[in-house]
Amino acid sequence: MRHLLDLYDSGVMRRALIEAVLVGSLCGAVGAHVVLRRLPFFTITVAHATFPGIVLASIVGLSELAGGLAFASLLVVAIYLTMGDRSLDTNTAVGVALAGSFGLGVMLQSAQNGFTKDLAAILVGSVLTVDRRDLLTTTAVGLVVLGSLAATHKELVLRAFDPEGAAAQGYPRMLDLGLLLCVGATVVTSVPAVGTILSVALLSVPALTARLVTRRVSTAMVAGAAYGAASGVLGLTASAQWDLAAGASIALASAWLFFVTFAVVSATGRVSRRHVPRDAAPA
Amino acid sequence: MLVTIRFLTEPFTPGYMQRAFAIALILSALAGVVGVVVQLRQLSFMTDALTHTVFPGVAIAFVAGQSLFIGALVAGTASAVLLTIAARSTRIDHDAFMALVLASLFSIGVIVVSRNRTYSADLTALLFGRVLAVNSREILETAIVAVVVLGILALMYKELLLRSFDEVGAEAMGYSLLRIDLVVNILVALVVVAAVRAVGTALVVALLITPAATARLVCVRLGRLVVASVLVAAIAAWLGLVISYDTSVHHGVRLAAGATIVVVLTAIFAAVATLTAVRSRRVRRRTLAEVTS
Repeated sequence: MRHLLDLYDSGVMRRALIEAVLVGSLCGAVGAHVVLRRLPFFTITVAHATFPGIVLASIVGLSELAGGLAFASLLVVAIYLTMGDRSLDTNTAVGVALAGSFGLGVMLQSAQNGFTKDLAAILVGSVLTVDRRDLLTTTAVGLVVLGSLAATHKELVLRAFDPEGAAAQGYPRMLDLGLLLCVGATVVTSVPAVGTILSVALLSVPALTARLVTRRVSTAMVAGAAYGAASGVLGLTASAQWDLAAGASIALASAWLFFVTFAVVSATGRVSRRHVPRDAAPA
Repeated sequence: MLVTIRFLTEPFTPGYMQRAFAIALILSALAGVVGVVVQLRQLSFMTDALTHTVFPGVAIAFVAGQSLFIGALVAGTASAVLLTIAARSTRIDHDAFMALVLASLFSIGVIVVSRNRTYSADLTALLFGRVLAVNSREILETAIVAVVVLGILALMYKELLLRSFDEVGAEAMGYSLLRIDLVVNILVALVVVAAVRAVGTALVVALLITPAATARLVCVRLGRLVVASVLVAAIAAWLGLVISYDTSVHHGVRLAAGATIVVVLTAIFAAVATLTAVRSRRVRRRTLAEVTS
């Protein structure tokens, strides 16, 4: 135990730990909506879409976060617009956007000469290089996102379980755009820690685990945040202890927590006893 | 006119460009056809998941010094089985469960590669492929995979169509839905495997989704969809290679060949989508005018 604490002696490791916990809990909480609305594939796409934004920003000399956020928002709006078009299956549009933005990112990156090192950092994250500003940005974005989700919680849950009812009561479809933008902003802030490819792990696995222990959306958000934070701590510690890639360790830690919880829940039979009928009020 | 023709053909004088073009064409034909199935069965997410889950196999084979092709083949088939089961899970939300499987397997790949000291260059090569460095043996391997995959698709054409449009009917007639899904997903995995060296695991998803989506914008019938999809893929492959070669050789801007193909593919999709959207709006307005007048 003493030895494990020693791993966090340096400022670098302490900052990495704080970032992992912040990102983990934010993603875990937002993930409740990702799982509820079946958005994991969308999440992967947004994560890939930050990539050309980051490359463009570094060419122009802007903040990488701003570039990623701008490009991801652009794509979120584009996908939202195709959702109304019935000739195009949403998942196909999402797939085209995913592949295209990723290709664009790689092409832009290859036009610069530093092709390899930064690319790997964007793809699989580099939590050890986060600085104080990254921590502040994560906190700020996290507060805004969680604040918006909390403010519209009732409406979002209604929209998820009864879209027609929500429409009939006059709630605008823009609500969905807001949710998608919140998910997008969360993805963008998680990229420095776990990278574009693995941010989907933090945005869906802790929330999936939380669903094993609770059916209420609000409780699932809290439980998801706890699972996400725990994944961050466990993954980072394992990565420092055994010298593994940090982002990948965090993703694997979240999967490990899922299987442990699944085993415990199956063994004690808690899920079946606590199972609430689907049409019961879930808020 | 002559200048344009030279611009389009001159890049293919060096041998490596001819080989790149050959493999790109084979992959276009293969991914174009399978892409229509992907769209029909709504397997976009599954396809993206497979491109990530093939990665650990490639990574392990790479570190162990074995053939990447074999590594990808084993990982692709195994993860296709795993993902098919995950997609059918009823107890757990299957989208999130697929995300779990893909993230875990991809992470294992990253960890395996990161054990090598100089891993970032290898990681990019594995993710994005090296279409300009393929040799004739690799072209042959890809061609064999293409023949096998297209052959199996032709054999199960009837069952596949039935399963897509009448699930209950197919089950009532005694077909095993699980078995059909399993075969289709393994075929998609095989395409990913075949494309690993040329365009890498990360970009093959574009070949499998975008041409078919473009085709879907302009036609509905299955036969036409297949033809249009293959055509779009082949044209994008050709233009992509030409643009990448021309900018690198004549303008000193190095554009990665595989990525350029993907960008061209997406540009074609965006152009066709805009055109059809404009046209359908105009048609709608005209019919409206006829009705009201």
